[in-house]
Amino acid sequence: MKRDELILKWLNNELNKQELEAFKQLEEYNDLIQLDRSLQAFKTEDFNTDSELNKVLTTIKSFKKSGKSRISVFMRVAAVLAISFSLYYYTTTLDTTYTTDFAEKTLIELPDHSSVNLNANSSLVFNNKNWNKIREVQLNGEAFFKVSKGSSFEVKTKSGVVTVYGTEFNVKHRKQFFEVICYEGLVGVTFNSHETKLKPGDSFLILDGKIIAKEKEKELEPSWLNNESAFKSVPFKYVVSELERQYGISVVTDNIDTNQLFTGKFTHNNLDIALKAITLPLHITYSKSNDIITLTGE
Amino acid sequence: MNKQLYKNICEESIFSSIFKKYAKDLHNFLYYKYGEKLNPQDKVQEAFVKLWENCAKVTPEKAKSFVFTTANNLMLNEAAHQKVILKYRTTNPKTYTNENPEFLMQENEYYNKLQNALTNLTEAQREAFLMNRIEGKRFKEIAEILNISTKAVEKRIYGALEKLRKDIKEL
Repeated sequence: MKRDELILKWLNNELNKQELEAFKQLEEYNDLIQLDRSLQAFKTEDFNTDSELNKVLTTIKSFKKSGKSRISVFMRVAAVLAISFSLYYYTTTLDTTYTTDFAEKTLIELPDHSSVNLNANSSLVFNNKNWNKIREVQLNGEAFFKVSKGSSFEVKTKSGVVTVYGTEFNVKHRKQFFEVICYEGLVGVTFNSHETKLKPGDSFLILDGKIIAKEKEKELEPSWLNNESAFKSVPFKYVVSELERQYGISVVTDNIDTNQLFTGKFTHNNLDIALKAITLPLHITYSKSNDIITLTGE
Repeated sequence: MNKQLYKNICEESIFSSIFKKYAKDLHNFLYYKYGEKLNPQDKVQEAFVKLWENCAKVTPEKAKSFVFTTANNLMLNEAAHQKVILKYRTTNPKTYTNENPEFLMQENEYYNKLQNALTNLTEAQREAFLMNRIEGKRFKEIAEILNISTKAVEKRIYGALEKLRKDIKEL
């Protein structure tokens, strides 16, 4: 048998016994065996079919998920419709908001012709659309309400809810300060889920979470409607922050006990007079530089 | 007709069985043809992911040539005529440890020569030859994998053997 035939048969692993002997007699036999043995060192690393299959399947599955969103053209159309509808619904039923800045007051007429005077740095939110069903406003700050007759009317603040049975009343809700004064009719104040009913002249005051008793109110409407702020035994710090609101200034106190009680009033029209009104009774001096007022105790 | 012909590769079980049947051969084919620098494992993954993406279009009997062609093309995109260098592992069996240093040096030299000689083979020669010698595949099996005739496989392998021996002697 020819040499190359033998080698080919060896390569294809089909030598019989006789041929194998003949193959061994070839002069290149040793070379071939050495080559063959050495080639085994070049073997590729074991290919782990199972783990590789798992990898492919994970890739495919992650891919399937993203594929789903691609398919659902219908879902996309539905989503666009849903968004536009909700946007339409949202904008038409959007709450109406009124906000006053420092040193600003405004008069608001509600859909049922009830009127609200909004004091400085306050905001009032109500929903026009549902007004016939629910008369409800959210108040942050101070406002005087003249409510026309009708179903119950609620003023919600973070401190408590004021329910109105038709009438005139003032709500003041500032940081740590919640005051309701009834001027006419009947008003209910719900604070910590307990309702207190106020008759004309009654007032309800909460300072730092505590209910403070106050004497009867003799005025017919809150003083701030006449551009004055009146206080009866109110800690001085609330007087100062009211002054800041009415004039849009900032006040710094120095060596003053801001918890001492103050009774009196100040005007909203003249800062110097207002400052004198609140400083003289307490023996305080004041100085002005730009928009900053410094109050100094003795 | 075999019922499987009408089955869809999109079914996970069919896909898995195709993977089990061809992935290893594909990997070894890529490895011996292009070396390991170009990550034959990744190419196998990519090729089968592509098969999945096209599972509705590719029939099961076309799947093999699909993944081989795809993987080969992926390789060609990257290969850019790089020199193929196959790694060898000199982890000799324990019986060799008693050999004298001269023998070890000679052996190492031989491996280096062989490595160079393998690099100098054509891709067609190398893939066929190494699948035969290392993976122990018969000519017929290789012919099926490469889609060529048995005779052509014979030629490639024999040519490769002659060339290697000549190169090793010369180097």
